[in-house]
Amino acid sequence: MKKLSLLITLFSTILIFTACKKDPEEVVDEEVITTLRYTLTPDSGGTPVVLSFQDLDGDGGDAPIVMGGTLAANETYSGVMVLLNESESPAEDVTEEIEEDDDHHQFFFQSTLGGLSVSYDDEDGDGNPLGLKTNLSTGSAGSGQLTVTLRHEPNKSASGVADGNIENAGGETDIEVEFDIDVQ
Amino acid sequence: MYSKIGILTVLCWLPIFVFSQDCNLILSGKVNDSGNGQPLDYVNVYLEDHGTGAVSDSSGFFRINDLCPGHYHVLISHIGCESKRLFIDIEEDTELQIEMDHSTHELGSVQISASATSATTQSNEALNEQSIRDNAHKNLSNMLESVTGVSTLKNGNISKPVVHGLYGNRITILNNGIAQSGQQWGNDHAPEIDPLVANKIRVIKGVGSLEYQGANLGGVILVEPKRIDKEPHLHGKGNYFFETNGLSNGVNIQVQQYHPTVAWKVNGTFKKSGDKRAAKYFLKNTGGQEADFALQLEKAFSEQFSTDLYVSSFNTELGVLKGSHIGNLTDLESALTRDEPFFTEKKFSYEIEAPRQAVHHQLLKLHSKYILNDRQIFDFTVAGQLNVRKEYDIRRGERSDIPAMNLRQFSTFLEGKYRHEFDDNLHLKSGVQFNFIDNTNDPDTGVSPLIPDYFTYESAAFAILTKKLNSWFFELGGRYDNALQNAAFFSQTVPRELLQYSDFFHNISATGGFTYRPNHDFSIAYNLGYTTRNPAVNELYSSGLHQGVSGIEEGDANLSPERSLKTTLSLIGTIKEKLSFESLFYLQQIDDYIYLNPQDEIRLTIRGAFPVFRYEQTKAQIYGLDLRADYEITQPLSLELTYSYLRGRDLTSDVPLINMPSNNLTGSLKYVVQQWNKFENIEFELTDKYVFEQQNFLSEQDFVAPPKGYNLLGFQIATDIQLKTTRLRAFTKVDNLLNVSYRDYLNRQRYFADDMGINITAGVSVPF
Repeated sequence: MKKLSLLITLFSTILIFTACKKDPEEVVDEEVITTLRYTLTPDSGGTPVVLSFQDLDGDGGDAPIVMGGTLAANETYSGVMVLLNESESPAEDVTEEIEEDDDHHQFFFQSTLGGLSVSYDDEDGDGNPLGLKTNLSTGSAGSGQLTVTLRHEPNKSASGVADGNIENAGGETDIEVEFDIDVQ
Repeated sequence: MYSKIGILTVLCWLPIFVFSQDCNLILSGKVNDSGNGQPLDYVNVYLEDHGTGAVSDSSGFFRINDLCPGHYHVLISHIGCESKRLFIDIEEDTELQIEMDHSTHELGSVQISASATSATTQSNEALNEQSIRDNAHKNLSNMLESVTGVSTLKNGNISKPVVHGLYGNRITILNNGIAQSGQQWGNDHAPEIDPLVANKIRVIKGVGSLEYQGANLGGVILVEPKRIDKEPHLHGKGNYFFETNGLSNGVNIQVQQYHPTVAWKVNGTFKKSGDKRAAKYFLKNTGGQEADFALQLEKAFSEQFSTDLYVSSFNTELGVLKGSHIGNLTDLESALTRDEPFFTEKKFSYEIEAPRQAVHHQLLKLHSKYILNDRQIFDFTVAGQLNVRKEYDIRRGERSDIPAMNLRQFSTFLEGKYRHEFDDNLHLKSGVQFNFIDNTNDPDTGVSPLIPDYFTYESAAFAILTKKLNSWFFELGGRYDNALQNAAFFSQTVPRELLQYSDFFHNISATGGFTYRPNHDFSIAYNLGYTTRNPAVNELYSSGLHQGVSGIEEGDANLSPERSLKTTLSLIGTIKEKLSFESLFYLQQIDDYIYLNPQDEIRLTIRGAFPVFRYEQTKAQIYGLDLRADYEITQPLSLELTYSYLRGRDLTSDVPLINMPSNNLTGSLKYVVQQWNKFENIEFELTDKYVFEQQNFLSEQDFVAPPKGYNLLGFQIATDIQLKTTRLRAFTKVDNLLNVSYRDYLNRQRYFADDMGINITAGVSVPF
């Protein structure tokens, strides 16, 4: 009898607690990069080409919007990289964070297009490349992809990394986006 | 060797009154082997305060003459046994009845001769105090690897136990009778328990005894501190160990004293290690440190009523191999192709940086026992646990010191137990339990949590009936659990919405079995158990990127409970006192087994493309065999062989289950020298372990094929050292003697780096 009453007490406590629901505080994601904009201004003048990747709702949800671009053959461009967190308003400029922590970051550029090459036009405090500012030169006409990668904590002193070779860089990928490029 | 059951036990001592004069008293007694009941010779009975002693003869008898009345500390030791101390008060001639055993492994199912209440038809195996101390440098999971059928799931130096292929949410770990409450779902979340507080660690390899809370689909691990000895003097033990690999140091101190007002015991452990070393390179950022404390208080208010209090605090910080930190699948693929991990350095360091884990676990337990009469006992337990887990990642903008995951789990547990011995052979154990869990993510992490915040309310009732009938022992039990889970989290949509879910589950378990032991040399045990386990919160609602596996994991709110049927058959025997063996066959079928299934979808994010995994259900089957055999070649030389075989299949898709332990075979040759100068029980042991390649696997099930099989050679010397007033225990051992480069299938670090190279450990245990 004693056991039965204990059981009843226990199970009725359950019913009381049913009303108790968790009410969590919303977490503001701090390290989000929603948008990458790579603006290429032709050295010979003319309209800049903007390659962009935008994913406002982060991983999952709606698919990101990726905009490739058309470049002129045998031309050189000055490239400027801008990173934004547009899930906050006003949008947070993540580029500043990369500049402040430049010795722990590096962009890498890989292309399937023959003759298209990217060289660094900036460096960190140690004289190693960073990649927020670049020079891009095109070769003959064709189409293919350009992959932009941002590595966090790469090993900048590993072989070939200072020349933009990603193979020995290591570290963690913060950004890896692929753009369709037409060279005309 | 003799058959093996029970660690060295002293059942009772029976004072016999004889009229005596000063310093003319006699201490005598008889020693039996607890395994076969035969008298045991060459047992040393030594009076530490007196400096004298005696050795038992071929009938097991010993006798010490000319003793004065007073208190004596008696040390009992025997070749191949754990030595045992006794405190006795000699006022007249005294006779001791002593039972002892050789083995470091204890098999519970043959214990029917001892006490029917502790007996079970579930297969179980235990590590005794001496083997815990001889492995003081290991964490709980690694210590349990010597139990057949138990393996470890690792991420470098973080490890969790796997029993018959199941781990995490599917097994229960009890710390002093309380189910460990923490983030068990994580594959790189180790149990937060200091094994050095325990005097015995037991693994139940059946569906788990029904008296314990938790979803015991795979088994139960019990970490059991002993009750405080009735010894009025202050006594204790100090342990120290050193390891060459990782330059680890560890100290453990235990102090205890019995007093009628209150008996107390204090236990403290401190460990620190630096970067471990694989055969060819250092594993950067694999150090760790740990500081633990436990307090045990016992008070008997009357013959009927006693209370004990247990408080423990476990605190650890563990580094994760730097080269295993990856962002996306491309990073993983480039790491997989390397011989040496990224960031390998030439020099050793104690430094721990991100990625790392800092985990704290506090436990408070209050237990009271009320003996109503000779036949009926009530137990009441209240316990509270606080588990705080912080995981630090390499983050941008000086955020590496802010945890990327910060979970706090608070739980309270209430239990009432009733034991009734209807007669000497028919026993009932029953109880009711209530458990409350509050799991909260700290919002200051700046990272959306992988698992939601939740409240869980669990209620349970159980009853187990055991019956002894001549050589037979029967067990029948049932258990009912219900669980209410209220989970809440924010959606990933824009704008984000608060989602609240409430789920209610019923779980039913039942077990039945028998043990038949026609004589001391042979026993057979059979058990059949049915258990259900409701889906855990992570399986229902986790959503997001799981950095460790480079995949996006998605829960499914519509999962139903897993239903498992497991059957075990064990045969234990001794043949002509030369060969003893233990074998266990098991077969388990789990309907609606919950697992992470890779989807066809590849999800594009700004960090690149990620594979998507979803929690799905299937019909799974696991079967296997655990085997241990001991053969005495000639008196001091013996050979032990253990073998574990396991196979897991997904019956619905007819494919293997992944992350199942590889089969393994261990052989060890042991030579014991009984005495040499001050050294006693000197054991030399050469061990060879071969782990087979996991071939039960399809290439599309993982990023990389399972590693090749490997062979590890080890050597160990352990001895007791008898000094004038104390008896030390010292050991030294070499693991991976040949410094072999190898990788283990169940170690996630295998994607990036080799496992540990040669390691020399030395340790000493000093009683005082």
